[in-house]
Amino acid sequence: MDIIQVGDLTFQLDYSKPLYEQIISQFRFDIAQGNIPLGTRTLSVRDLAKELKVNPNTVMRAYQELERDNLFETRRGHGTFVTSSQKKVDELQRSLATQAVSSFVTSIKSIGFTKDSAITLIEEAEWN
Amino acid sequence: MITHGPNSLVTNSDAVVCKELVKRYKQKLVLNQFTASFPAGKITGLLGQNGAGKSTLLKIIAGLTQPDLGEARIFGKKIHWKQNHDITILSDRTKWYEHHTVLEAIKFSKVLFPSFDLEKALELIQFMELDADQKVHTLSRGQESRLYLVLCLARNTKIVLLDEPFSGIDLVSKEQIIQVIIDYMVESSSTLIISTHEIHETEGLFDHAVFIRNGANVLSGDVEYLRATQGSIETIYRGIYR
Repeated sequence: MDIIQVGDLTFQLDYSKPLYEQIISQFRFDIAQGNIPLGTRTLSVRDLAKELKVNPNTVMRAYQELERDNLFETRRGHGTFVTSSQKKVDELQRSLATQAVSSFVTSIKSIGFTKDSAITLIEEAEWN
Repeated sequence: MITHGPNSLVTNSDAVVCKELVKRYKQKLVLNQFTASFPAGKITGLLGQNGAGKSTLLKIIAGLTQPDLGEARIFGKKIHWKQNHDITILSDRTKWYEHHTVLEAIKFSKVLFPSFDLEKALELIQFMELDADQKVHTLSRGQESRLYLVLCLARNTKIVLLDEPFSGIDLVSKEQIIQVIIDYMVESSSTLIISTHEIHETEGLFDHAVFIRNGANVLSGDVEYLRATQGSIETIYRGIYR
């Protein structure tokens, strides 16, 4: 596992999993958490590839997928920008939250908890 | 031979296709029915221990030596000296004229190779932090590797073969070489084949990998697909050569 600081962002690359998926998921979390302000210009494919020391095709593939999800937009001749739509970010947060809940449910069920006892646990948990 | 993932089939998108290559040096069998394809416009890591047959394979692709059996094709054509202008090879045994300075080496390359891009070379030596007036024989191993890479990449050929560009050089030189290779991939549509046995530093660099052991292709495929199905290239490498 390599940890690479790129400007304000921290990338963790685990070489035992596809790298483009990790680049996508780190951008998704950074956008959802507000680490990247909306409408910010992102590093070019070339510059991010050089920072991460990965193949530019890998970064390109991640950027294309982020564009398909409307989280990135490329303006011809100006570069790639993070979406400026708050609505997209709300949708993204919702989708990440759903994923987190679903994996929580799977693991809490596997150790024998019911929905009601899980809800009690959540209420009793430290939230601050 | 096991082949995985996209690019696993022999298609028009292959720059180099090797079919059942056999090469002997006296009694030693160096390539043993080696079959593999190398996708165009991508970086392939040719991975294997010392003595696995990597250098011999690259020399055959470059037309510097002939196989005893089998054939290699470049963009569908049999290898022929006329294709020399399409291929550059950086050999691990490359030596330049000792009395030349870095600048003279670059100017001499321009004379040798019509397509050599002098301005590009001058730009690259600056990035590589090489002193144009330094004599070639006084360069460190890492500086030497950086110079030879500049001489290769400034030729702008369709195929670039780099034989162990990272071996025996310092970390900073390695990183500078990786940066230049990434730039080169963004700017050109060339095909790179890089042989190495140092996987960790280059793990992220490859699109495609070919693992060679005892002169044969034991595993090849798209690197992201291999990661998804079998783990990191370093782990696979350890598994194969353990």
